[in-house]
Amino acid sequence: MRKLALGLLVLALVGFSVAAEETIKIGFFSPLTGFAAADGHAALTGAQIAVDFINAAGGIDGKTIELIYYDDAVKADQASAIARKLIEQHHVVIAISGSYSTPTRAAAKIFQEAGVPMISAYAIHPSIIETGDLIFRVGMGAPVEGVAGAHLAVEILGAKKIAVLTMDNDFGVSLSKWFVKTARELGAEIVFEKKFPLGEREFRAMLAQVRLKNPDLIWATGYYGEAAAIVSQARELGITAQILGQEGYDSPKFIELAGDASEGVIIVTDLNRDSEREIVQKFLAEYEKRAGHPADMVAASAFDAVKVAAYAISVAGTDPERIAEAINGIRHMYDVVTGPFYAFLGREAIRPVEVQVVKGGEFHFFHTFYEPWIIIPPEL
Amino acid sequence: MEYLQQLVFALVLGSSYALIAIGLTMVYGILKILHVAHAGIYTLGAYVGLLVVTHITRNFWAALLCGMVASGIAGVIIYRGVYYYILRRPRIVPLIVSIGIFAAMNEFYRLVFGPYQHAFPAKLRFPLVITPYFVITPRQLLIIALTAVFLLLLYLVYNRTKVGLAWQACSQDLSMAGAVGVPVDSAVALNFLLGSALAGAAGVLMAFYRNEVFPTMGNVVAYKAFVVVVLGGFGSIRGSVIAGLLLALVETFLGSLEWFEFPRDAIAFLVLVLVLMFRPRGLFGRL
Repeated sequence: MRKLALGLLVLALVGFSVAAEETIKIGFFSPLTGFAAADGHAALTGAQIAVDFINAAGGIDGKTIELIYYDDAVKADQASAIARKLIEQHHVVIAISGSYSTPTRAAAKIFQEAGVPMISAYAIHPSIIETGDLIFRVGMGAPVEGVAGAHLAVEILGAKKIAVLTMDNDFGVSLSKWFVKTARELGAEIVFEKKFPLGEREFRAMLAQVRLKNPDLIWATGYYGEAAAIVSQARELGITAQILGQEGYDSPKFIELAGDASEGVIIVTDLNRDSEREIVQKFLAEYEKRAGHPADMVAASAFDAVKVAAYAISVAGTDPERIAEAINGIRHMYDVVTGPFYAFLGREAIRPVEVQVVKGGEFHFFHTFYEPWIIIPPEL
Repeated sequence: MEYLQQLVFALVLGSSYALIAIGLTMVYGILKILHVAHAGIYTLGAYVGLLVVTHITRNFWAALLCGMVASGIAGVIIYRGVYYYILRRPRIVPLIVSIGIFAAMNEFYRLVFGPYQHAFPAKLRFPLVITPYFVITPRQLLIIALTAVFLLLLYLVYNRTKVGLAWQACSQDLSMAGAVGVPVDSAVALNFLLGSALAGAAGVLMAFYRNEVFPTMGNVVAYKAFVVVVLGGFGSIRGSVIAGLLLALVETFLGSLEWFEFPRDAIAFLVLVLVLMFRPRGLFGRL
């Protein structure tokens, strides 16, 4: 009887480990609760679409991908705990951050120390990929986005006097730093600069001061809630200056909340909704079907992060060093939504920078930067 | 002339602070409970207004009315269903319960309505004021006017009706008031009804003004209202109104200065620290 039990136990263990071998585990974390929950759900949906597409096409060498996800609530301590759980309990091959800069930075440190590669989908702070040689980013870094914004403002939109409103967190501060530096180098004058806290909704007092300086362009960082408040209150005060935003604005929610005031707002982002590439249109259609609203750059970036991870595993297997090598070796990857990715330099995807404009209540194509001095991060 | 425009902004902001703080101070005045869940009632008003606007009619007044009624009823339910049973416990008990209710309400909104910000597409015809010195948009005028009307009504209820008299008696000594025949239970329930309806009105007004409703919209409000109540003096309605306007004035003027790096919302905390250090009973408190 004891022998039988032991035999069954052994059998069960063998069976279990065989079953475990069948799937490739990819760890994922994003804010599913808290103020950033909308972005967290978008990122998760985007990542799941990528997993489903890959599994439907036969998986990686016949093995299916399994996405193991947790909610970090945009908190650094929670992200650290999740990173440990993904590494120690789930033994994930690679992890993807579908979260903001602060939690992503905290998790990156733990993944790097444990020797597990991590890809940040859209968190933009420069220090994330500086964590180590296993940490990558598919989204645009803040330096590229800020520099591209400055070229757009000064060279294409012809701005001479610029007002800068900066959200006081990793996201806003790193974006504005590079924007201001480059805009000054290109000869524009910064006539007003002010920071505001995350979650601020009352910009009228600040904007009344901006109006006195009469700028031709306002560069305002923020997520879509702050962005909608800035844009509608600026128009309410009769400010007609061009408003220039970035990927924080890139959500259908921005247009819904700002209403008519969003018309003509231009943003720097990495998703071109008017792209004729098949993968983009296929992704946009599938996302809208699942979520019930149009996709944003957050979802697209998470989709691409999974694609990059799957590609790396397909050529390198599950060894972390070889996965890192495979990602660094990527050249001209076209099968991504926010790409094409020309290469990974300094563990960052190099790709054209998209500029979209709000027209008729939708984001549309405005411009694409291909210039190497804009799309390659300035520190490289 | 720029200052006059800033004054208008401050007046609007102050009105919203006053509306939400009044309910809080009314409850504290009588039950001595720090009713944190009041901010959840504010959010409830906004969501009920949103449901009306998106499903029934675009009319703002209908949304306001429904938001106020629903919030008022929810306030009474919280009193009769929860606080009523723990009134005699140490004050920390209802405080913790209240924080719990607030957190649960926020999660409830997130589960039911989703984590997203929703636009508030109400329609309203209201005058636009344009002078050479300042502009008041229809929505701003609406907030200022409605707050003034509510305050006037509240003043009349407090000073000209039996209910107001009962509230004043209850706030002086709850058990004594009961002993001399004041119907304490219904007086307190009415107090919750009115205070919560005002919070609901504030929720609908701010949802309309800022064009957004989301689960955690009560978070900042929760501590701002608390600061306003402390500054005005616990239990003093007049104090809450004046403190709300004062805080808004300071926030607006300091917030507009380019060199002022301190975050606007942190000013409230600074005020809280200073008041607790130097005048813990607030401007008009009896404590």
